[in-house]
Amino acid sequence: MLSERELERYKRQILLFGEEGQEKLKKAHIFIAGAGGLGSPIAIYLAVAGVGRITIVDMDTVDQSNLNRQILHTDRDVGRKKTVSAIEKLQELNGDITIHAIDTTIGGDNCDKLVGRADGIVDAMDNFPTRYLLNETAIRKNIPLFHGAIRGLYGQATTIIPGKTPCLACIFPKAPPKEVFPVVGVTPGVIGTVQATEVLKYSSHDGRLLTNRLFIWDGREAHAEEIAVERNPACPVCGEKHTTSSRKPARKKR
Amino acid sequence: MTVKVRFFARFRELLGTDILAEPGSGTVLATLVRKIAEKNKEGYAAIFDEHGNFREFVIVMRNGKRVETGDAGKTIIADGDEIAVFPPVAGG
Repeated sequence: MLSERELERYKRQILLFGEEGQEKLKKAHIFIAGAGGLGSPIAIYLAVAGVGRITIVDMDTVDQSNLNRQILHTDRDVGRKKTVSAIEKLQELNGDITIHAIDTTIGGDNCDKLVGRADGIVDAMDNFPTRYLLNETAIRKNIPLFHGAIRGLYGQATTIIPGKTPCLACIFPKAPPKEVFPVVGVTPGVIGTVQATEVLKYSSHDGRLLTNRLFIWDGREAHAEEIAVERNPACPVCGEKHTTSSRKPARKKR
Repeated sequence: MTVKVRFFARFRELLGTDILAEPGSGTVLATLVRKIAEKNKEGYAAIFDEHGNFREFVIVMRNGKRVETGDAGKTIIADGDEIAVFPPVAGG
């Protein structure tokens, strides 16, 4: 049940999702991998929209050079753990939701456990090896992965629904090379809010998801484009030949 | 025949986009893109490795359908084809 305060707080978006949709947001548990450039706008918008439970994971400390884009953190947070800074800001933005901030590195040994029983994973990472781990966890747990990535003024996003859409490894079988990428805050702003929009639509059962399509943002040209993406039957992660023995029983969702 | 080649993101910066080309019949996709990319050394090196093969992370589409880069050397281009070459990004 939504409280009087919640009804008032979410009044303008209840016009959009209805009280039923808002209840669904309240019951949702979303896992955000990363509290950096993408993770900041994603976490902020999911928090203020009333996603009832947010788990955010990051192992880093706030650095001065993060502040041009990682809008969860401010000058006074430099040197503090990103998780500490994140939980403070998010709880301040919305005291009616539950936030867990976990200070750790996501790895092959802890990814499934960290995600736990979350309803969806948001990819706010800055590297493909960890993204591939999140993808495998999403497939194993049969929960969506909301992918986003950026570089400079360019970005991409897609929504992965296990069994229904290509997985991350179908779309990107090989990772782009590692680099210190250029970035200005507006780009993770654009892509992060696309990802957050997807989470809200998925959680409230509204709209048409960014599935089977890769959204491409070219900020330099102010041009958005999408390309169709398909499942790879031979995908080592989600393909038909993939042994299902390592998969846990699928959880019923939507 | 006329085909269109579209580069995205950094590839666009280096090579331009919506390039109309008139390849001879029997031209394969990899050759077509290689020829266009050759006009800019940096652009070429961003897309192809030292052996002239597509770098493994590059995404190539033909008329909205993914072409495995390994197959681009045997995919024959047809009149009116639209080829898209896209570099995924990895930052966050």
